[in-house]
Amino acid sequence: MMIKFINEYPISKTFTFEERIALLRELKIKQTVEKAKTGGANEDDYGLIVQNSFEYKLKPNHENGSIYGYDAWVENYCSILESHPLYCNPLDAFVGKGFLFLERLRPAGCKWNPDYPYDDLKVLFDKYNVVSGIDNCHHFTPDLLIGFELGWGGILEKLERQKEVHDGSHLAFYDSEIAVVKAIIAFLKRMADELFELAHEEDNPTLKHNLFEMARINRKIADQAPETFREAIQWMCWFSMLSRTYNRGSAGGQLDEMLRPYYERDIENGVLAKEEAVFYLACLFLQDSRYFQLGGPDVDGKDMTSEISYLCLEAADKINIACNLTIRVHDKLDKVFYKKSVAYLFKNKQGWPRYSSDSALAEGFMKCGFSLELARKRVAAGCHWMCIPGMEYTMNDTVKINLAKVFEVSYDDMVANEPKPSAEKLYETYQKHLKLAVDATGKGIMHHLKYQTKSQPELILNLFQHGLIEKGVNITDGGANYYNMCVDGSGIAVAADSFAACQQRIDNEKRLNYQELTKHMKANYEDRDGEYIRQLMQHSERYCGGESLGDAWAIRISRLYTELVRDLNNQHPGINFIPGFFSWSNTIAFGKTVSATPNGRKNEEPINHGANPCSGFRKDGAVTAMCHAIGAIQPGYGNCAPVQLELDPGIANDDEGIEKMAAMIQTIMTTGNTLLNINIIDAKKILEAHQDPFKYPDLVVRVTGFTAFFAMLSPEFRQLVVDRVAAVNTDKT
Amino acid sequence: MPGMITDIQRFSLNDGPGIRTTVFFKGCNMKCAWCHNPETISKKNELHFYAAKCIGCGRCFEICPQKAHVIVNGVHKIDRNLCIGCGQCAETCYAEALIMSGKAVSAQDVMKEILQDKAYYQNSGGGVTISGGEVLCQKAFALEIIESCHENDINVAIETNLNGPHEAVMDLLGKTDLVMCDIKLLDDDKHKKYTGVSNSIILSNVLKLDRLGIPYIVRTPLIPGISDSNENILSITEFLKPLKHLILYELLNFNPLGAPKYASLDMQYGFGAYTPLPATRLDELQTLVKNAGLPAKIG
Ligand code: SF4
Ligand code: SF4
Repeated sequence: MMIKFINEYPISKTFTFEERIALLRELKIKQTVEKAKTGGANEDDYGLIVQNSFEYKLKPNHENGSIYGYDAWVENYCSILESHPLYCNPLDAFVGKGFLFLERLRPAGCKWNPDYPYDDLKVLFDKYNVVSGIDNCHHFTPDLLIGFELGWGGILEKLERQKEVHDGSHLAFYDSEIAVVKAIIAFLKRMADELFELAHEEDNPTLKHNLFEMARINRKIADQAPETFREAIQWMCWFSMLSRTYNRGSAGGQLDEMLRPYYERDIENGVLAKEEAVFYLACLFLQDSRYFQLGGPDVDGKDMTSEISYLCLEAADKINIACNLTIRVHDKLDKVFYKKSVAYLFKNKQGWPRYSSDSALAEGFMKCGFSLELARKRVAAGCHWMCIPGMEYTMNDTVKINLAKVFEVSYDDMVANEPKPSAEKLYETYQKHLKLAVDATGKGIMHHLKYQTKSQPELILNLFQHGLIEKGVNITDGGANYYNMCVDGSGIAVAADSFAACQQRIDNEKRLNYQELTKHMKANYEDRDGEYIRQLMQHSERYCGGESLGDAWAIRISRLYTELVRDLNNQHPGINFIPGFFSWSNTIAFGKTVSATPNGRKNEEPINHGANPCSGFRKDGAVTAMCHAIGAIQPGYGNCAPVQLELDPGIANDDEGIEKMAAMIQTIMTTGNTLLNINIIDAKKILEAHQDPFKYPDLVVRVTGFTAFFAMLSPEFRQLVVDRVAAVNTDKT
Repeated sequence: MPGMITDIQRFSLNDGPGIRTTVFFKGCNMKCAWCHNPETISKKNELHFYAAKCIGCGRCFEICPQKAHVIVNGVHKIDRNLCIGCGQCAETCYAEALIMSGKAVSAQDVMKEILQDKAYYQNSGGGVTISGGEVLCQKAFALEIIESCHENDINVAIETNLNGPHEAVMDLLGKTDLVMCDIKLLDDDKHKKYTGVSNSIILSNVLKLDRLGIPYIVRTPLIPGISDSNENILSITEFLKPLKHLILYELLNFNPLGAPKYASLDMQYGFGAYTPLPATRLDELQTLVKNAGLPAKIG
């Protein structure tokens, strides 16, 4: 059952850290190709291993074949851990690979407990194409420092102590959590025992020594708190695997600061060398593609960049795979560190690091009524989102309203009922429908909060939240410090361009009337003169065109959307709703529900990506125009409307180019924008890889907020990335 | 006073230091055989026709007052003898198959675009580059833009061929922050043959420019078999060596992207089969210049 790589090298073979990283990377690429060939996925890599030796058959507690509530999740999770095999590569510094996610073993369409229906809301969700987030798991950040401090044994003790002081109403929570933690400790002890056996089996002295060390560390951290740099990272690796195996749990945090105390102590005690630390960090990145933040201000505004921040970059450079590292840009950021990060971005062309703006994020979050100190603790932790580790429940990136669909409903409503249609009338109608969509979404979030424990309690991440073990409640039941619910709008460019096209071509220039446009749209612009009209509409003033009509409409829509989402706070006191613009990988699915639109988009074509413009937004594809426009539509309450840039590698192939890019990123981050993802893509290479994904199996792209191996993406998704690259690679004069 | 430009390109990274906005003036007083921006040569507005983008809607045939859109052997063509460049067809061609090469704009129009990227110029040490065509052909317009830029604390560079009377040239150059000028060929016969003018006035303007004390960059486009010889580069290097304010001698590799533009204007292009110099040759040339003691760069 165990996946092991024992006695693969001669006894005489010695290894440098560099070699070990190279060999581990090689294997990772090979495994990625296998993974891609067995189906691929339009999401994070998760470090998941594809294998045939271990399968788990779900034990349902509902007639629909799914699992709901504490007992079923505990039972299934503990059973998985009892039988989950060890994956061990003696070249690696750590163990902690997982093979499956329990949440994905549930039958399709059976995630939400049917005993808590929301049929009335579903009607509106369908009408406006809302992804309600009801039934979605986690998407908030645990505070791993809780685990660093207590270890699994300490967590167990705390649970048992707290259970004593509570009455029976909290029993389900405590009994479940206690069972889970006991299962985890038993699992980790078994892993340690197996590592000892492997160490005895291995003949190569270097690898044997490594295995014994791994075994010793694993036995210790099975229940005790980690004390060294290597132990802390091993603890993190298992945490990743354990939370992923449960429900793909998210994590991350301020990596450099989390590890700094261990690093400094080990260096001082002479038990750790710098290059060894780099090796451990590289192995951490190899183990899982979690989101981490580096640099940025501490609560007092002092820059957190330290030696370990540099080592993180070096390690990411060495392993050079899909690393989700975010650098938080602020005015005191270590300049050398920043420059170095930009150089790596262009050298490796793997989409890391990306950049967040401290000022825009902190000021926005403070507008929700939080202190500057808390705002600074809210670190990059997901595709497009920030979270205060251990203090918030957020549903980040799980709730999406398709603004293009709302536009379509509004347009149809207006042409059917308005004797004198115009862009202004259309906007009035849009206001009405968007309010209905947003309000329904708010109700959906409340429904989720009310009943999520009955569907899927957060048995792992609960343990790493401040106050939940003390209160004895699942995170959705009121125990979190803050409820900052993410409500994202998708398709803003399609809506803005459509408004602009109607205003410019119909209202202002009178090139056609609404009736004619409607007729062409119903025919998908494929009727007589349809293509001509499509071109006419498409080439009107677009969002990101540079102080264009489209830009003005995008700002107007953003203001309206922000106002409506913020109004949910009045409807549901005690809960804070935060607007953002993002689409994650919904661009294709959202597009499929929307027929032809006035911006010249045809039936079912994808909507725009996140806050980015529709392709062809400007003849010169100017990055500056685009970033300026995206900066202007930020809702401004601490959540993001990210910029996604695709740049040609030739743009920065010398020091001067790197300097220019560093200045560009810094400017983007100080002109209103919140988050910046950059792909450095050779247009020719991406086209070749699109034809044959296995030609460049190690090609990594930043897809939405996440980075992924290009080969892992579906053809439709690859096409999206290719289109975005094409949009900014117009021939320059 | 309105000027004639072909384009404004924001986020321009190859037209001087930092991040820049480049304004391309229309109209040139030289006619370099290899020019890769043929639309910038004539002062007159010309019609580009990109047949691949045409959706066959027929609007241009209907609207053209000159009946210049014609079908020849079943193929849509423009009768260049009839076309007066009025632009009416381009205005109605939303497929962007027909595009006018120039647009008349005011300095204010240009400034509106320029100002949008001010933060980028400031953080990167960039600014605005006025390029061509030839800036000297629209000097008053250029001065107006330069003045507005300076009022807004924006640095201005110009790219010029220096082919103009001393006073006029120096008057303009004295107001800019950086000059980028070309010496294409030192051999005057060849210069005449390939650019249509003598280089004597250009070379003497370089000497005068040096006396102005503003920084400048000299560039040579490397046209295979014409300007890329060791001899040409070395002789230009020798000419530049005594100069005091030259900050860089830049060797620009041959740009092969001109062909589709020539085709769209129904113009003959003699350099369609030429390819850029390989990296090894570029390195050799750069080393030649550096060994002679000049700061060199491949652009
Ligand atoms: S107007 Fe444009 S698209 Fe229509 S026929 Fe003429 S060139 Fe073609
Ligand atoms: S530019 Fe004017 S004259 Fe020339 S083809 Fe177009 S409409 Fe006819």
